[in-house]
Parts: sequence; C-alpha cells; structure tokens
Amino acid sequence: MSAHLIAFFTLREALRRRVVLAAALLTFGYLVLYGVGVWFGYRDLQNTPGGPPGLTEGVVNLMLVGGLWSLNFIASVLAVFLSVGALSGELDQGTLHAVAARPVRRSEIVLGKFVGFTLMLAVFIGVSASLMILIVAVITGEVVGASWSGPFLMLLASMLLIGLALAGSSRLSPLPNGVIVFTLYATALIGGVIEQIGDVLESAVMFNIGVFSSVLVPTRAIWDMASAQLAAGGFAGELSAGPFGASNPPSGWMLLVAALHLAIALGFAVRSFERRDF
Amino acid sequence: MSDPIAIGLAGVSKRYASTLAVDDVTLSVAHGEIFGFLGPNGAGKSTIVKMILGLTYPTAGQIEVLGQPAGSLKARVDVGYLPETFRFHDWLTASELLHFHARLARVDADLRADRVRELLELVGLKDRADDRLSTFSKGMMQRVGLAQSLVGAPRLVILDEPTSALDPIGRRDVRDRIRELGEQGVTVFLNSHLLSEVEQVCDRVAIIDHGAIVAEGKLDELLSAQEIEIRAGEGAEAAARQALGDAEVRALNGRLRVRVANDEETAILVQRIVEAGVSVYDVRQVGDSLEDLFVRVAERGDV
Ligand SMILES: Nc1ncnc2c1ncn2[C@@H]1O[C@H](COP(=O)(O)OP(=O)(O)O)[C@@H](O)[C@H]1O
Ligand SMILES: [Mg+2]
Repeated sequence: MSAHLIAFFTLREALRRRVVLAAALLTFGYLVLYGVGVWFGYRDLQNTPGGPPGLTEGVVNLMLVGGLWSLNFIASVLAVFLSVGALSGELDQGTLHAVAARPVRRSEIVLGKFVGFTLMLAVFIGVSASLMILIVAVITGEVVGASWSGPFLMLLASMLLIGLALAGSSRLSPLPNGVIVFTLYATALIGGVIEQIGDVLESAVMFNIGVFSSVLVPTRAIWDMASAQLAAGGFAGELSAGPFGASNPPSGWMLLVAALHLAIALGFAVRSFERRDF
Repeated sequence: MSDPIAIGLAGVSKRYASTLAVDDVTLSVAHGEIFGFLGPNGAGKSTIVKMILGLTYPTAGQIEVLGQPAGSLKARVDVGYLPETFRFHDWLTASELLHFHARLARVDADLRADRVRELLELVGLKDRADDRLSTFSKGMMQRVGLAQSLVGAPRLVILDEPTSALDPIGRRDVRDRIRELGEQGVTVFLNSHLLSEVEQVCDRVAIIDHGAIVAEGKLDELLSAQEIEIRAGEGAEAAARQALGDAEVRALNGRLRVRVANDEETAILVQRIVEAGVSVYDVRQVGDSLEDLFVRVAERGDV
C-alpha cells in the first residue's frame, strides 16, 4: 500500500502552492478585519438600550455564522483550485509518469490525492474556524452556537468539491474541469436560493428545483446543515437563519446523499483514471 | 527466475483514434541483455515503453515483464523507468525526489539514505543534493531522472531517450552507467533515435518504423546484411540453397533474391554457383542495405 505516501506527498505539495499561501494570507487579513468588525459591532450593541431580549446573542451568533459562511466559501474555492488539475494536469506536465510506473495502484494515486487535499482543507478550516470562534468568544465573552459539527460539515462540503474535481480531472484538462466544477458549485448555490424563494412563495416547482440541485451537488445543502448547527435557538436562530442558511434546514438524509455523492465521484475518478492511457 | 525472458511482447498493437502507433510487434528481451530500441521520432518507441510499464494499454496482444503481466505491482517493484519527458516535481530537492521514489519502490528504510547519496554521486549531482529541482538545468534534470530510475535497485531499467538533454560528456557518462548495469546483470531497455547511442552499448537492437519492427538482431550483423539479386543460368537456385540454406533464397522473375550477411558471403555464394557449373550473368544489390535503412530510418548521432 502506497496511498499514504501519495497522501502526504500531496499535502506537502499543497502546502507549498501559491494558492494555499494566497488563501492563508487572505484569510488572515480577513480575520483581522473580522475581529475589528466584531469589536465595534459588539460595542455599539452594548451601547444601544432596549431591544427584544436575546438580541445581543442573536447578533453575535449572526456575526459568527456569517463569518464562517465566508470561510466556507474560501475553503470551497481553495478545494477546487487545489484539485482541479491533480490528475490530468500532472499527466500533461509529465510529472506523474515516473510515479505511476512505481508499484502504486492508480486507485492509490487518486485516493491518496483525495486524502492529501482533504487533510489540507481540514487544516485550513480547523485553524481558521477555531480562530474565528476564538475571536468572537474573546471579544464578546459569549460562546454562541459554536459547535464542532459546523466545521466538520464545512469540511464535508469541501470534500464533495474535491471529489467532483478529481472525477473531472481523471479525463479533463484543468481549465475545462475548473469551469465545470465551478458551474456545478454555482448551480448548487443558486438552487439553494431558488429553494428558499420557493419555500416563501409556496411554489412546489421552485422548491423541487432547489432540492434537485442539492442532490446534484450537495455543497450548499451541507452548508445549510452547518449553519443550522451553528445557529443558536430561539430568536437568535431566527436572525441568523435568513441570509446565511435555509429557513428550514435539510434533513439528516442530506448526509447520506452527500456520502453517496462522494462515493460515486471517487468511484468514477478511480475507474476512469485506471482506464486512461498516460 | 526460471523464465529467461525479461520482457516479452506478443502481437502487440496500439491504435489511437486515427493512428496505428504500434503495429503487431512481437519482441523478446532476455535477462541481463542491453537491448536497443531504435527508430525515428514518432515510430512508436515511447508508446511501446509505456505499454511495457502498464502506463498505456495495448489494443491487441500480450505483454509480460519479469514473468508478470505488464503493469502488475509485482513486476514494477523491480523496474526502473526514466520517462522521455524527465519532468519531476520541481518543488522537491534532488535528494527529496530520490527519497520519495525509494519509498515508492519499497526500498528498506535503513538503505535509503546511502542509496540516495551513492546515486547522486554516480550521476554527478552530489553537490546539488539539497537544491530544489526548479533550479536545475535540463541536463541536470535528466541526470537526476537517471538516478531516480535506479533508486529501487531494479532488475530491469527502461530508459526513454536518456541523453536527449545531455552534452557529449554527459552522453558518455550515461553510456558508462549502462555498461555498468550490464556488468551487474541488470537488463536495460534503451529507447533512442540515435544509432550512435545504441551501437556503442547494446548487445542487440530492434529497429522500429511506423509502429512496426523492420529489423532485429545483433547490430554488426544487421549493419552488414544486405539483399542481392543474381541473374544466372539453370541450376543457380539449387546451388545457392546448398550454399546458404532455404530461408535466405527466393526465386523471383527468373532471378534469385538472396539475403547475405556481408560482402564476403556474396563472393562465396557467386563462387559456389560458378563451381556448380552455372553461369552468372549479373549480381547487384537491391533495396536498401540495413545501413541505408538505418540512415533513412534513424539519425546518425554526432558523438
Ligand atoms: N496519446 C496519444 N494520442 C494520440 N496519438 C498518440 C499518442 N501518443 C502517441 N501518439 C502517436 O503515436 C505515434 C508514436 O508515438 P511515440 O510512441 O511517442 O513515438 P516515438 O517515441 O518513437 O517518438 C506518433 O504518431 C504519435 O503521434
Ligand atoms: Mg519517444
């Protein structure tokens, strides 16, 4: 078994990539701005008398969920950029030939890369989400809705995108593959919006389009689950559900859909990569 | 190891959408042999090598490597490969690249460091061991690629145009390395479009053109072999057959076509026919000699 060699190699390579450095810098800058924003926002909130009970918790929670929403977005983009040329891009460059001639199965190359990118995203999400929760907790003194399952679901959404990108990369060049994966990702986002509007307008067609898009690419639905986990209950929950999540979060079945989705994407990636000529 | 064949191809073809890159190739390479695979660019050499390694799949035929089907993990443990492109992950240092490949090739942990050091010294990159590959010239990259192909202590080494980026001294070094491998009993499969490159090191060669093998054998024998046409009286064919055996002689439009190994054989053949009491009217060389074929099919290098 050599999959772990490929996985750690992939992680090491990812850590040296410009896109990772860029994401790290961007996120660091973002966290600084975010901290400043939370600090001022919280101070104003403290100085505003009145308001319904639980307003403070609601706003703090909203800031946290909104912050994590943007981290989730950065993580998704990073996941796609890292993995979009992982197979065919390396074949085009010729860097994979010597490796593939070693006693390594092609499935180990595909799955090793998947694990490597997943580890990379786990580090990214783990560090940045922890810092964000820490920032909010230190500034506001409240830990509102912080839950472990949130970051894990964010990671799951990134894994779905890595799986898709690897499946495409088994045959397609990086550019067309990137276009397709981002299009699917956007479809899921727009589908989520259509689903929400359909819900409000009580339009079954719009609602079903949204559900269908979630089954096609469950990234958005998984985020909705994450935001539901993160949102505090009661009034606080009502507040934060609006802009960054669905008003009624997907059922637990969505996890099964996501797991199936990942299995199919990786299965396709392996089979298709096994059959191609180098 | 009872199987004397290191590489065996039987009726192997490879068709890409519109091109027949490899056309019904049958070939075998013995253990310990230094085998040259010679042909012009686009002849199908790299495609055959990639099929031997299991990187590309044949559309017809069977390939066996070290007693295993091509591409099986068991065979790959003992095979080293220098790809034609010699591109490696250039964010690694030379030493890191070799360590990575040593692990992939399942070299014992306690042997790796020594092996890597020895090989970098062997290819003249000892001083650059800890430099990033991104700072390497093409020639250095090809040399680190050669070291990479040897890092698993392979029984079979497959080199695809291993000197394309090297200067004459670098080429000589590679030839020396190949000879050393031969002395150690390692089988070497050397792809090249340069006659000079294979003629100096190879025990046996095959020439490939347009996907098909056009000649195969020991190089000096191939070089001097030629086909002659003889116009002679009644009984010439029988006399020629007696002198050379059936396989070499064909009757064509009342003339004889004979494949001879060299000029000396032509002289002896004519003498035998005359001794048999048959008149010889005309003897001439027809078609290409293999040397002509080489020149047409492959380039003469300038080393
Ligand atoms: N992936 C491919 N798709 C289509 N045609 C290919 C591919 N690889 C090689 N060929 C064609 O197969 C033929 C043999 O190529 P190759 O094996 O690289 O030759 P050589 O190594 O002898 O220069 C060429 O005509 C080449 O264009
Ligand atoms: Mg070639």
